[in-house]
Amino acid sequence: MPVRGSRGGTYLDQQTLVAAGAPAPGSFEGNGRGSHLLGGQRAAAVSTVSTVVFIGGVIALFVFAPGAAAVRHTFFNPQQMKQAFLGDPSKGLYSVGKGLILNIEMFLIAEVLILFFALVIAVLRQLRNPVLFPFRMLAVVYTDVFRGVPLIIVIYGIGFGAPALYIRGVSTQSDFVYGIVALVLSYSAYVAEVYRAGINSVHQSQVAAARSLGLSQWKSLRFVVLPQAVRTVIPPLLNDFISLQKDTALVSTLGAVIEANRAAQIDSSTLFVYSSYTVAALLFLCLTIPLARFTDRLIARDVSRRMAGGATVR
Amino acid sequence: MSEADATGGFGGAARGDASLSGNPALVGQEAVRLEGVHKSFGVLEILRGIDLSVAPHEVICLIGASGSGKSTLLRCVNLLEPVNRGRILLWGQDVTAPGVDENAVRRHIGIVFQSFNLFPHMTVLRNITLGPIRVLGVPRDQAEEAGRALLVRFGLSDKRDDYPDRLSGGQQQRVAIVRALAMRPGIMLLDEVTSALDPELVSEVLGVIRELADAGMTMLIATHEMGFARDIADRVCFLDEGVILEQGPPRQVFTAPVNSRTQQFLRRIVDAGRL
Amino acid sequence: MRKTFVLVIFALIGLGLTAVASSASPASSSKAASAVLTAKASSCSHASIARDVYKIGSLTVATDSPAYEPWFSNNTPSNGKGYESAVAYAIAKQLGFSKSQVKWTVEPFDASFAPGPKKFDFDINEISYTEERATVVSFSASYYDVQQALIAMRNSRIVKHHTPADLRTYVFGDQIGSTSLAFINTELRPTQQPSVFNTLNDAKSALQDGRIQALVADTPTAQYISSSEIPKSVLVGQFPSTGEHYGLLFAKNDPLVACVNKAIATLKANGSLAKFQKEYLGIYTSVPTIKP
Repeated sequence: MPVRGSRGGTYLDQQTLVAAGAPAPGSFEGNGRGSHLLGGQRAAAVSTVSTVVFIGGVIALFVFAPGAAAVRHTFFNPQQMKQAFLGDPSKGLYSVGKGLILNIEMFLIAEVLILFFALVIAVLRQLRNPVLFPFRMLAVVYTDVFRGVPLIIVIYGIGFGAPALYIRGVSTQSDFVYGIVALVLSYSAYVAEVYRAGINSVHQSQVAAARSLGLSQWKSLRFVVLPQAVRTVIPPLLNDFISLQKDTALVSTLGAVIEANRAAQIDSSTLFVYSSYTVAALLFLCLTIPLARFTDRLIARDVSRRMAGGATVR
Repeated sequence: MSEADATGGFGGAARGDASLSGNPALVGQEAVRLEGVHKSFGVLEILRGIDLSVAPHEVICLIGASGSGKSTLLRCVNLLEPVNRGRILLWGQDVTAPGVDENAVRRHIGIVFQSFNLFPHMTVLRNITLGPIRVLGVPRDQAEEAGRALLVRFGLSDKRDDYPDRLSGGQQQRVAIVRALAMRPGIMLLDEVTSALDPELVSEVLGVIRELADAGMTMLIATHEMGFARDIADRVCFLDEGVILEQGPPRQVFTAPVNSRTQQFLRRIVDAGRL
Repeated sequence: MRKTFVLVIFALIGLGLTAVASSASPASSSKAASAVLTAKASSCSHASIARDVYKIGSLTVATDSPAYEPWFSNNTPSNGKGYESAVAYAIAKQLGFSKSQVKWTVEPFDASFAPGPKKFDFDINEISYTEERATVVSFSASYYDVQQALIAMRNSRIVKHHTPADLRTYVFGDQIGSTSLAFINTELRPTQQPSVFNTLNDAKSALQDGRIQALVADTPTAQYISSSEIPKSVLVGQFPSTGEHYGLLFAKNDPLVACVNKAIATLKANGSLAKFQKEYLGIYTSVPTIKP
């Protein structure tokens, strides 16, 4: 069951594989069979040599290629990397490090709002109360539209469109606000679908059990279905949030938000080097890699728990 | 339990158990009454006119082949499936009438499923107290107090803080029964509750049901355990293709069935060594 | 299975190395190779130049898209209209290339200074010379001396009030990569951080919508924006020269620079540059000066 078409489909596919008894990619750490999979000491030696040769080859590329010196100068110039990280107002250079703080702020604010709005949308689509029909329709249209429209266009639309309307309170917000609104609009549509996949993955018998106790539809959803659904979708959700961290950079197109990527762009075009981009890339990696590892651990834990649980059902 | 008990021993006071039996105001009426109940899924007609009446404290076992409509009948009583035709009355009240609050009806009916359907994200105690707290509005400490008492009574007190996936199937099913009992239902519906269990785990669950019967619980039990049905039931109903073909005291149905289909069914069961 | 995998990895590394090595001397381009070598003294005869260019037999000239007025006309560099287009064709003529031998190519500003072989002989895209930039690429001599100018909406406070102290209080905006942005940050030093847009067009719409109060651009661009592009906008004035000038952008140490510089000197001496400035930028002369 793919969570959604384009980006996040792999996690649940992986679950299906696991359920079917196939080895799960990334399950090496989880079941403590790491050394076994490598096949003993000889194999370990081979893999070490192969790793060294591979990394050596890549390094050789950077050292001995005819243009290597130029590449090092433009991409990995320590002096300019430091300058880009700290910024230098006297030369019109922006600080990439300071810019990253904006990325983190946008990410954190947007994430909280997305988790909330997406859940509301997913739940609206789930409730079968006829009174809620128009809202359900709205939720369907909303997810269709905002999953279909590229984020950059949503950012442009909100950031350039809202001020052009000259509506008091709407047209006078900062680009920071417009950017977050656009991120929330776009990502909530994705995340709502992730939630919905999670809700649908909770077996109907759970609903029957809840309803048979006399719980209303809403209370069944609230106390029985959603807690299980959310647990299932945490890994794909985190996956989405790794994308979100990076996509905060797109808000810079509105102008006023000089986040890490935009600061790097300015520095790059001022000095004609790309070292500032390297700094931005490294900083983004510092943000996303911990989250990615955390996601992997959650998936591994989930898989092992599922297996342990499966073994004791009878 | 002898037939004499089943037919004559409705003495509520003798068998009743204050901690388990339901709403005292309902005692004395017919507990459940089905009148010409029809239920179809699409073109498939599962129930084709069921008439059945269950007295308070009566234990009725529904037997019949798979697909004969036993489970659907139970789900209809609990309003998990709406009926297409006919009426269902609980303690004299038509619960299939339009405008009936199904949640209110379900409070008085406990149902236990073949596949346990415990809530995997909750501990055993939370599974049991969810209904009382969220539906009946019992304060949490009182609900947990009552829940703990029930677990002690059914030998599950050491599992109180475990999650369901740490329990054996038999334990899970017992918890599921306790979860239904925690709502203090007036009637219990048991849907093939031992079918998903390994043979060695069946008896512990049957023991619990026996205890309920001894305590005077009104029960409608769909089962394949014929020996058990013969022991526990006040009345046995044989369902075939959506109608009750034959019913009566277990001794009569099991030893001298009148209907040829019943005879056939029981012969297959005996041949399979299950009676 | 594992052995095959290892072999494949090594094969890939090998391929990568050969690819990098060979990409420095592609069959179609003698340009890159010569750019890596030290600049050799060139006679600047058409024959010797024609052998050294990116595509033999033609002069490949790059600029960004969209190509802005009045430097180009109708976003069509090949029409010979607009100051930079005219200059490019005049230089080509000096180097002995006919009009039809000039090939235009689109080079985004950000890519123009990337390391590696260039896909053009020179880039003409209102690029300002700075010392730091010149360590990465080579620039020609100036073909236009730049002054920065201030554009605002007609009813803006900035039209009347633009002392240096006033100027620090406004919200500015500019296109990324422009020296105008550096000018704002280093010369005007506003208290609120200026907005930085992907394109000049984004910056213009921000000015129109009131999201920024002023835009800084070189005087011709500023003149064109205020007179023809944004209704109700005005050119407030231009700032004194900081010695900034536009130069053609070349691969580092491209031997062609010397010949192009010769051509530019000729065009300066014979009055061609002045003529083009009068023709394409001429209406933009009487601009009041702001003391920053």
